Formats: sequence, structure tokens, C-alpha cells
Amino acid sequence: MKLRKSEMAAIGSGRGTMDSQNQVQSDTVDRLKLLYPNVNEEETPLPRAWSTKDKFSYIGLSQNNLRVHYKGGTQGPGRRPHLPYLHLRLWMYRHGKTHRDAASVRATHPIPAACGLYYFEVRIVSKGRDGYMGIGLSAHGVNMNRLPGVGRFPPGWDKHSYGYHGDDGHSFCSSGTGQPYGPTFTTGDVIGCGVNLVDNTCFYTKNGHHLGIAFRGLPPNLYPTVGLQTPGEVVDTNFGQQPFVFDIEDMLKELRARTRVAIDEFPLPDEQGQWQQVLHRMVSTYLVHHGYCSTAQAFSRATGQPIDEDIASIKNRQRVSKLVLAGRVGEAVETTRRLWPGLLERDPDLLFLLKCRQFVEMVNGTDCEASEDGANGVATSVISHTGRPHKRSNGVAADAAEEGGGRDVDMAPAANGDHEEADASSQRASVERMLAFGRELYAMSQKLSQDLYHKSMLEDAFSLLAYSNPWDSPVGWQLEPVRREAVCDALNSAILESQGMQWSSPVEACVSHARSLLRRMSRASLGACAFADLSALLAR
Amino acid sequence: MSFENNSNGNEKEERKYSHERNKSDELQLSRTDMNMLIMNYLVTEGFKEAALKFQQEAGLQEPALCSSLDERIMIREAVQGGRIPEAIAMVNSLHPELLDNDRYLYFHLQQLQLLELIRAGRAEEALAFASATLAEAGANDANALTELERSLALLAFPDPHTSPFADLLLPSHGQKIASELNAAILKMENQEYTNPKLCSLLRMILWSQSELDKHNIKYPKMTDLANATIGQPK
Repeated sequence: MKLRKSEMAAIGSGRGTMDSQNQVQSDTVDRLKLLYPNVNEEETPLPRAWSTKDKFSYIGLSQNNLRVHYKGGTQGPGRRPHLPYLHLRLWMYRHGKTHRDAASVRATHPIPAACGLYYFEVRIVSKGRDGYMGIGLSAHGVNMNRLPGVGRFPPGWDKHSYGYHGDDGHSFCSSGTGQPYGPTFTTGDVIGCGVNLVDNTCFYTKNGHHLGIAFRGLPPNLYPTVGLQTPGEVVDTNFGQQPFVFDIEDMLKELRARTRVAIDEFPLPDEQGQWQQVLHRMVSTYLVHHGYCSTAQAFSRATGQPIDEDIASIKNRQRVSKLVLAGRVGEAVETTRRLWPGLLERDPDLLFLLKCRQFVEMVNGTDCEASEDGANGVATSVISHTGRPHKRSNGVAADAAEEGGGRDVDMAPAANGDHEEADASSQRASVERMLAFGRELYAMSQKLSQDLYHKSMLEDAFSLLAYSNPWDSPVGWQLEPVRREAVCDALNSAILESQGMQWSSPVEACVSHARSLLRRMSRASLGACAFADLSALLAR
Repeated sequence: MSFENNSNGNEKEERKYSHERNKSDELQLSRTDMNMLIMNYLVTEGFKEAALKFQQEAGLQEPALCSSLDERIMIREAVQGGRIPEAIAMVNSLHPELLDNDRYLYFHLQQLQLLELIRAGRAEEALAFASATLAEAGANDANALTELERSLALLAFPDPHTSPFADLLLPSHGQKIASELNAAILKMENQEYTNPKLCSLLRMILWSQSELDKHNIKYPKMTDLANATIGQPK
């Protein structure tokens, strides 16, 4: 959560003073985010530490819950049992009767399927007395009074527990008897545990060497788990915050490539050229939808794709879209009223959206609202008069906000001594015009449903007045030209819908459908979704 | 599975005019990204006029048109216009080794030539052409043989355009071969993406849907790509 906040601040403040601070934080943040870019941590948080609750009492945690040590039971650590007893224990351990001294801990969260390939490493700080250590995975609810992989007697009782044990190098899969798997491990070794969520297998590494697949057919939602059994055993864990000893980049590359081939060579539903028609149709409908009229005509000439809309109608939409994208929202509203009478009256939400944008553009100095609403005088906004990025640090807009908090401000222009009279009065005029427009906007919002959505839109817009340099303020994102696109699309879609056409173009519907399919796969624990990289596909 | 009711409610949500405060742009696809997706299609498929118009209308950067774009356009036009020998000659002068190495593609071009003869009603010439040039390819490749049989079967019908194999005579068939050829040329020139991104996008949808089907997971399925029709979860 802390991280989220700073990210948001970074987006909001642009090149603010917080940058150096973020730089430091992002080093630790990005490593996990880079490893698992498809994981949405709001839905499925990544394991970042051992759980202080989901552990057996003999386990102690320290160093941000990344170090695990064995503290033992009531007799305390360091207790030396009689030698014969130890042999008995060994015998029991080897013969499937789990030992009551064993203790495990699970990570705070299960491994999200959207990781695709998940990996963590454990460094053995000390093998303690006997080095009975197990590293692996277990499902929620599996008894913690044993090493991972070791089942209750009779074997198989505790399902879904998987481990690789240090003392004998065996792999245990929910049972008391292990299979010979890898070398033993002890103090100083780094053991890695990897889960391939595409084919649901698990592999281990020792000191950077891949040991081969240990388990197949893993169930979803397993937790990283580590278990210790004798005093003095201490391990440190790297959930990805630090560079790994093993290089998983190669495996990631291979999985990405494999998925890419699976997608790119996915058999098409039919062989005989219908596919081409689908693609052409998509391109054509997109061009028409957004009013790229001459492109659509050129494409139609080359492919024979029909255009289902009047050319004049497409051109009208193109005109309005261009006005919005240029920030001339007032003119766009007028043109819409003229060309599609009644449209905006029927859709007050849309009108409000447009008017809010118009207000933002007034701050931006791009909207000439004067000519539209019959107001008079200078067409530029106050802020552009006060000089865009610098010139004055204590502008009129800032004063207004200090006194009134953005809206309902009674303008009392500040003493601006070093400015000419004419300049000052024209500033005052345009500020007053802007505030009048703001009051109108506020009145309009009162008539709409009072939801958070309308409220925040209005507040964000009004907040711009609080800054002498709104472009460099936390609400400055509104002024970016990219923000016009959503408004433009909303207006265009409403026009199209009023004429009985589709709200969005098929290509765009496909993009959002592809995204929701990948999310669906992720929720259904299909790890392959991690390597179907939609954003890489769409990015340049 | 307990996730049934999550995915459907957001359709109405998307219609809400988006004004998402500080929402990072990964969720909202910018118009520029979409435009680049379309531009990528126009450029890789060699629609030069449309690409240049699009650049002007959408205010995009100069499209990175490949050096061979003009040749590729002429080749595409020749293929789609049924002037196959001309197209083959152009390909050979542009990349002499291309058709030598890709015999299946070469077969497809010759098959188009055969179809042109059939379309023109020159049955004897068509048979002679088939036995002289195409039989060899058919003997070496089962796929090619089937396609050859389908093509020649057209001769058995008084009006090939109403026959079960009429799809071979549709312009879409020529367009498909033209795209195959275009992709092969691009690959020859080491263009990184031979498939247009739009193509990969649609394949990604088909792939995800089949993965979900394989695991019996319910989801709203897109049944008609061209119109982006999405059915209710079954």
C-alpha cells in the first residue's frame, strides 16, 4: 500500500520534488514487479515474507520475516536428547512417522498463477544440529508440525505438501517416504524452488544449478513453505527482492517464446481466406468508427470492404472529434448541438463531461469559450496570461484558491504591483469568466446524480485553480492532451449510438475482450496467461 | 470454481465515461496505441495509400515503410488481379531464392494460375498446365495434392462458381495467398514481425478461449470476431 501511494504521487506530481525519494523506493519495488508483471497485487498479492501466523510455534522469524530459525518446544533450543532416542527418531522419520519436533512456516500468500513461473531461494545460514531442513510448497491448512512434503501417518493424509530435504537430498510428495532426487544441502548452500504454473511442475536449484523436475501435477494456490527440525537451524529467504543465484531469465524467455508460438500458430477456424476478410473488416470498421474518413475510403478501394455509413456523416463526426482533440470543447459542443440536435439534452452526463473538459481547457488556455457562450472579451485563460511555467510564483489563481478553496470564490484579485493595469484587468475579466463558468458547472452537477464519479470529476477540475502553475501540480494530469481522448470517444460513441450504430469498434472490443480473457485465466489459475503478453503486443 | 459472477458486470461499467483519477495508463489503451495497431496492419500488409492517408488523418508519425513496400504492393496487386506469371517474375527479381526455398508457396501461386485458367473456362489448358507443372508438387506433398484435387474438381462442374469448391474462385482466396507471399517476403527481409499485430491479437483471443475451454472454465465467449460479438457465459 505504501508503494502504491508513492507510485500515484509520482504520476500526479510529474517532475516534482518527490522523484529522488521514489528512485530509492523503486529499486526494491520493481524487482518483484519486473519478475511478475502480469500479477495484479490488488487481487492476488505476491508472497513477500513468511507469515507470522501461519507457522508452527517452534519457528522463529526475524529480519522482516525473511529469516527463519528453529527455536524448538518447551524444553527450549539446545536440548540434546539421548543418543538412542535420536536413533529412534531417525528411524521414525525415515519410516514415515513424522517427527513431532518438526515445524514449518508458510509465506503470507499463495503463489498467484499469473506469475507463470514462480521462484524463490533459501540460503542455509546454519544447518544447526542435524540439518533436517525441508524446502518446498504446501496448500493452505496443511499441518505445520512437520517438514514440507512429509505427510501424516498413514502417508497421503495431508495432501498437497511438497518438499526437498537437506539431510538426504530426497524429494517428498505428501508422504513419509521420499524419492531420491538431488544432492544433500547444508550450511552455505543456496536452494531455489521454482514452480512452472503453465505445466504445473516444480523444480529445485542448488547454488544456481537446475536439479530437474521434482514434482508434477501440482494443484493451484500453493504457498512457499520451509520446515526445520533441530536446534540451530537458520535460513534466509529471497522472495525476489534480491537478485537470485540461479538465472531464471532463460527459463522465462523459453516460456515466453513457447507461448508466443502457441498463439502465433494457433490454427485458424477456417482455411479459405475468411480470415483475411475478418481482418479487413476490423480495420475498416475501426477507421469508420473514429472518423478517419479518407483512410477508410482508401482502404475500401484497395480491399473492396464496404463502408456502412454515409461519408458526410463520417466527416461530421471527424470534425467534432478533431475539435475535442484540439481542446476546443466549446466549439465541439456547439457543433454537436447543430448537427445532432437533442443529443446532449438527452444525455446530461455526457454534457457534464464535456463541460468539465471545457473548464479544464479554459485553464489550459486552449478553449475559446467566449465566442460560444456570448461572454465578452479576451479569449485566453488567466493562467496563460500569468505565463505558463514560471514568470510568477504567486498568481491570481493561487490567491483565489487560498481564500475560497476553489469554488464559490468571490474574486478579490491580489495586489499584483509589477504588472500593467491593462494586463491585470484583462486577467481579472478572464478569471471572472472562468469562475462564472465554474459556478454554472457546479449548478449543473447539482442536478445530476450525486455520485462520487461526478463529484470527483468536478473537484479535480476546480483544483486546478489552486495552483499558480497548474501544469506542474498534482492535478496537472488533467491538462495533458491525452485526457481529451476519453472525452472525444465518449462523444463519438454517443453520436454513433444515437444513429443505431455500435458503441465501440470491434477492434477495441477485441482488445478489452483479450484482456478480460487473460484475467479470467489468471483467476482460474491457468499460468499460461503470464506469457501471453498483450501489452507487449500492443506496445511499439 | 467459484468465480462465475465476476466477469460480466463490467460491460456497463465500461460505458461510464471514463475519468479515472491518476489511473496509470496500462488499463486505458490510448488512441495512439490503437492507431499504431491499425497502422501496423496497413504497413505490413502493404496498403500504402491507406497508410499514408492514415498518417495524415490521425496525426501519426511517418510510418516506417519498408524499402520493399512499393514492390510488395505491385506484387500484391498482381496476385489479386490474377496476373500470376507477372507476380512470380517480380518476386524472382526481388528475392531470387524465395520461391526456390518455399516450394509450397510456389505451389500456391501456380495453383492460382491454374484457377485463373479454370475461371476463364480454358479447361484443356488448365489440365495441361496441371499435369506439366503441378503434378510434381502434388506427388511430394499430401496437402498440395488435396488442394490440387479440389482445384481440378472445379472442371467437373458446368458452372464452377456454384460448385462446392467455389470458395477457391473468390477474391478472398487470392487475398489470402497474396498475404502469405507478402509475409514470406517480409520474413526474407528479416522484418521482426511477419504477422500483423492485429492478427496476433485475434489469435490471442482464440488461444485464450481454447485454453479456458480445455479446462472447462466458464467465460463470456467471443463467437464472431469480425463483429466482436460476445456470448453469455455458458
